[in-house]
Amino acid sequence: MNRRAWASPLDPPPSAVSMAISANALKRGYGKIRVLEDLDMSVEPGMIYGLLGPSGCGKTTLLNVILGFLIPESGEVVVLGNSPGTAASKVPGSAVGYSPQELALYLDLTIHETLLFHGRLHGMSNEEIMKREEWLVDFLDLPEPERQVGKLSGGQKRRVSLSVALLHEPELLLLDEPTVGVDPELRARIWKHLKTIAADGTTIVLTTHYIDEASKADRVGLMRDGRLLAEAAPKELMEKHQTTSLEEVFLSLCKREVKA
Amino acid sequence: MNWGRVKAIASRKFSSIRRDKRMFVFIVIMPAIQILLFGFAIGASPTDLEVITVGEHPVIDKLADSENLLISESNDLDDARAKVEAGEAWAVIEAENNSLIVHLDASNQQIMQTIMGEIRSALEETAPALPLEMAEPIHGEENPEFIDFLAPGIMVLVCFMFSVILTTMAFVGERNDGTLDRLFAAGVRPSEVLLGHLGAFSIILVGQVSVVIAIAVGVFDIPMEGSLILLFALGLLLGWAAMCLGLFLSTKAKSEFQAMQLVMPILFPVLLLSGILWPVEALPIILREISMVLPTTWASEAFRSIMMRGWGLSSPVIWQAFLVVFVFGILMLVAATKSLKVRS
Repeated sequence: MNRRAWASPLDPPPSAVSMAISANALKRGYGKIRVLEDLDMSVEPGMIYGLLGPSGCGKTTLLNVILGFLIPESGEVVVLGNSPGTAASKVPGSAVGYSPQELALYLDLTIHETLLFHGRLHGMSNEEIMKREEWLVDFLDLPEPERQVGKLSGGQKRRVSLSVALLHEPELLLLDEPTVGVDPELRARIWKHLKTIAADGTTIVLTTHYIDEASKADRVGLMRDGRLLAEAAPKELMEKHQTTSLEEVFLSLCKREVKA
Repeated sequence: MNWGRVKAIASRKFSSIRRDKRMFVFIVIMPAIQILLFGFAIGASPTDLEVITVGEHPVIDKLADSENLLISESNDLDDARAKVEAGEAWAVIEAENNSLIVHLDASNQQIMQTIMGEIRSALEETAPALPLEMAEPIHGEENPEFIDFLAPGIMVLVCFMFSVILTTMAFVGERNDGTLDRLFAAGVRPSEVLLGHLGAFSIILVGQVSVVIAIAVGVFDIPMEGSLILLFALGLLLGWAAMCLGLFLSTKAKSEFQAMQLVMPILFPVLLLSGILWPVEALPIILREISMVLPTTWASEAFRSIMMRGWGLSSPVIWQAFLVVFVFGILMLVAATKSLKVRS
């Protein structure tokens, strides 16, 4: 089952250097509004990390810090070995595939043109793009590449949006609510795809507010008011809190928070 | 700067513009309509002005040939004056002994001046002994019309205005639908996004400036003494600078409504303070200072000088206009780059 050598219990725990993402005591707000407060987070390479929390808890802000769009007020964040947004970092850049919460698609382009455009941004040749397009159409079950994006259904657009993030085979995938507004069948399909990609060594961080969805991740971060209440494998969390659902874990952690 | 990315962004933007039919109409048809309307509505001499004459005089005979005046005769001065009073005519010209007395409705200055101009030229023709002679003008035509003054300014206005409006909307949608974030996540720099947009819009600009010049020179027969190529080059540079301004505004606007709100307070001063409708020399001192920092003031003067005076690049009025417009564009581009931050 273990696809990563260092995940064996005999190996020493991975250091921050080998982490895909590690955040330490992150603080960030907008003006006077506090969003992230003393946030710690660690994501190992090749895992699916689910960031779970209610709307407005700071998930998107955290992703923006990881992308280097937002500079932390204090604390430290290391993504793929460097501080994101600095000259030495590969992030933002071709090392990362990002799918914002909005679909972020040009509705007047066809699927093919969309992939061609983003491929060129990453410096891919036309042949490389064509090859990836073929693979993605098959893998994500996309409609005809000549169809215009604006005329696709919501679920189809969602998959095209995902295909753009996957196009250049990034080391790190950041997906903001990739399954919001998607029917259960398609959600299950997207998860199957994500598992396949992670098995090939891609690190995936996704945000969600669906609890059942987060339980499929290798590790979840339960987020509330800009902090991680807990961070572990879903099973581990449930055992520790002696429940059978993440929901109850979340509720009991919230209660403890209020008492403290 | 990664030119591959700039090119990708430019060609994507251009195909979007090409596909949007409303956009196409807006870009090509609107400037044409605008300049046609201006040309027909403003600057031509009024015609069919009712004027009543009382008595006999050589000037009155001459006025009967006027294209602008509609002369009718009357024997009764009081009756004629009553018609002006009632708004049925604009003036009574009364011949008394050997001189003329003009009774005017002076409530409309443009019409009043047209009537006076007609009387003056009739006077000159009937009394050649006048101790005043007009030599052939050094610049311009013998009987310049107001539209000859107005047209170069309107051309500047249209080149400027449509470029600003076109680009002000550029990022509003892209910021809200997440596509801009996606570009930034791919490592694209703000300067690359801006240059890509400028590249796409520049192709449209060539069409716009051509339409504007073609209509002014072709349809309205505005004098064109200087180099068409020079005029075209300045038009392009002005449009480019206006696009830089529009892109800068676009980085500040969070919605289309906000974008329009930003454009309005800029277009109005440009229209009123650039010497487009009225000479800058007539402005109060403080407004004249403001006028001097508007690139359109320099461009209007240069357009007029190229078209009427036939001046070339060696003239300070012309090269300074090129310089001012260019510097303005660069400043706006720098401001836009700073404003379109990836990191905050």
